[in-house]
Amino acid sequence: MDRRSFLQRLTFFGGGVVLLGSGACKCSSSSEAPSQAESNVDPARLTFTSAEYALVAAACERILPRDEDPGAKDAGVPVYIDRMLRTPELAQMRRDFVQGVAALERRSHRMFQVGFAQAAPAQQDELLAIFKDSPEGSGEAHFYELLLVLTLEGFLGDPSYGGNQAGVGWKLVGFDTVGSIAMAPPEGWDGPKCLHTCGRHP
Amino acid sequence: MKKEPVDICIIGSGAGGAPMALELGRAGFKVVVLEKGPHYQPGDFVHDEILNSRRNFFMPLPWEEPHLVRQGPQGRYERSNAAWTANCVGGGTVHMSGYFYRLKPVDFRLRSTLGAIPGTTVADWPISYEELAPFYDVAEAELGVSGEAVPHPFAEPRSGPYPLPPLDVHPIAHEVDRVCGELGWHSLPTARGIISRPYRGRAGCAYCALCGSYGCEMGAKSGTNASLIPAALATGNVELRPLCMARSVEVDEEGRARSVVYLDADGVEQEQPAKVVVVSCTAVESARLLLNSVSNRFPRGLANGSEQVGRNLVFSSFGESRATFRVSKQKAARPWLLNPAPFVNRSVQDFYLMPDERFGFRKGGTLGFMWTHPNPIFAAVGLAGSGTAGVFGKELKERMRAYRDSRILQFEVYGEFLPTPGTSVTVVPEVKDKYDIPVAAITLDRHPMDFAATRFLVERGEEILLRLEPDDVQRVGTSGETTILQHGTCRFGDDPATSVLNRDCRAHEVPNLYVVDGSFMPTAGSVPSTLTIVANSFRVARGLVARMKQGL
Repeated sequence: MDRRSFLQRLTFFGGGVVLLGSGACKCSSSSEAPSQAESNVDPARLTFTSAEYALVAAACERILPRDEDPGAKDAGVPVYIDRMLRTPELAQMRRDFVQGVAALERRSHRMFQVGFAQAAPAQQDELLAIFKDSPEGSGEAHFYELLLVLTLEGFLGDPSYGGNQAGVGWKLVGFDTVGSIAMAPPEGWDGPKCLHTCGRHP
Repeated sequence: MKKEPVDICIIGSGAGGAPMALELGRAGFKVVVLEKGPHYQPGDFVHDEILNSRRNFFMPLPWEEPHLVRQGPQGRYERSNAAWTANCVGGGTVHMSGYFYRLKPVDFRLRSTLGAIPGTTVADWPISYEELAPFYDVAEAELGVSGEAVPHPFAEPRSGPYPLPPLDVHPIAHEVDRVCGELGWHSLPTARGIISRPYRGRAGCAYCALCGSYGCEMGAKSGTNASLIPAALATGNVELRPLCMARSVEVDEEGRARSVVYLDADGVEQEQPAKVVVVSCTAVESARLLLNSVSNRFPRGLANGSEQVGRNLVFSSFGESRATFRVSKQKAARPWLLNPAPFVNRSVQDFYLMPDERFGFRKGGTLGFMWTHPNPIFAAVGLAGSGTAGVFGKELKERMRAYRDSRILQFEVYGEFLPTPGTSVTVVPEVKDKYDIPVAAITLDRHPMDFAATRFLVERGEEILLRLEPDDVQRVGTSGETTILQHGTCRFGDDPATSVLNRDCRAHEVPNLYVVDGSFMPTAGSVPSTLTIVANSFRVARGLVARMKQGL
């Protein structure tokens, strides 16, 4: 996919809701104090209460479970989501996401009489599938989409945001020929020579 | 506040604005360039998909600066960030892929070639390929273009070789050459706005594989930010003002452009008087600026007495298919699949113009072959699907592992829209952006022939992909628009009743107003238009310099 088509389609998803934020979000996220309304946020977290964080961690681990390869929790995806949703430009998304977390929790209690984080993996999958398959434009479908995309961003994004720890996401999809800030070519690096002598980028 | 008057005020620093700044600065005129976005430096361009492709590093936020888009005049407008190019110094040339094709002679006389097509407003250009060709040479030399011209049925005449040799390509390019040969078609090297060797103080390409949607930290991509703008600033006559959003072009009692009113980086309104105003904000945004520049003299918008501003909008049609090669299955027979070289750089133009209408159209287009973009989040979101077809858990991870085992070759179609009376840009006074300026509203009303042409081209591309014996070929789509390629909203022509600009890209109605982005193009050519916009801007600039030196 070339930039024209993907810029066009990338930024939009979920019924016109856009996942966008500040270019400076890396710096601004951790320095901001939680607002009063969110003062019961877990002190170790930026967005979520302990209970919310447990649910988010459990849910994204069902999106990308650990098997023979690392899963979402191994990559630090919950940390990523917790941080990313502090981006000022994503305030609306934070509200939507936290509401979705509460809805998922309620649904879990109704169906299985336990919180989502305590439910069995098969029950968690059933709940996520219900949200995923909800009608387009519904709050459930919107939350599932946010969860999916934020999980994939946290799994495959630059490690400097807190996810993709040790590049486990990139290893899974084979994104090892190009990479992060640290892997940008040094000054004077001879790309053509590298291609022909090493066969692979460092 | 009113600034000191200058000779020329240019709005926009991309493919259209930068050549004007360079040529006028070189000729000794005082130039101010207003750019709404920031001035990124090479160190700001990092390989971070989230930053570059998924946030507002390049594109504005749709809730702050939307475009409204609707399908047909009865459709409902939806807020969108479609039809923006990068908002920064260099504009769309910063995050372009840099496929630097020229138009072909036939593109300048499409109306004469095709005859009248009902439901379209196809028009010939007032200039010929031969008149623009010397400026293609200038543009290629000033920017730095790598390529190799080869003979083929639709080859446009050139005066000489490209300034730089072609970039190294992946071995699959030679497979594309082979199967195209078997089909009796011509596989052409795609010229790139990326320098293959050090050039004019810039380093050559590092083959990092992240061109499209990224800025180039090496300065090897020939965006105007890396080439023309530094050269313009070096003349000492050009002042670049980033983070300055133009609000309107003001006119004097005689109807001449007098100044540009803009909001500076602090949001403070400023007025820049100038002898000549050059508008170059993309076809959509330039039309918006003119339509928002309302005065007693021009109550329907500047240079819009004949109500042509915003009409005849032309995007490129979108078409794409992908071939997947499973490395584990194919590597024994095709060890070169493991080669990491990022470029394929092959194009097919055998269907640029069909000899007759047996397939339902005559103006075809270009197929450009490339590896799929390596952005992993984008790829994974696609693998996960959506709605009831979407997957997660084990199935998603299996797909991601299969993706790791894949090399995916794709083609893109470049085919101009046929301009129609309905496809246009207007402004909607009640919807304003964060600057409190009415936003651009786009209506798409496409001609059925476009879709026939795109489908035909996609089918030909798939024939090529299938002959490469991949494990899978998937069609991404044959409808849709590539809105980053935009043209036509201030078309140039000899008749003021049917065009906004004259052949010098000067407004018929405003003798010191020029528009030099893709707006001038009555038809768009079936190739990406960046190089053409740059070449035309050099042409316009040379004419303007000559006239200004004569005191006109």
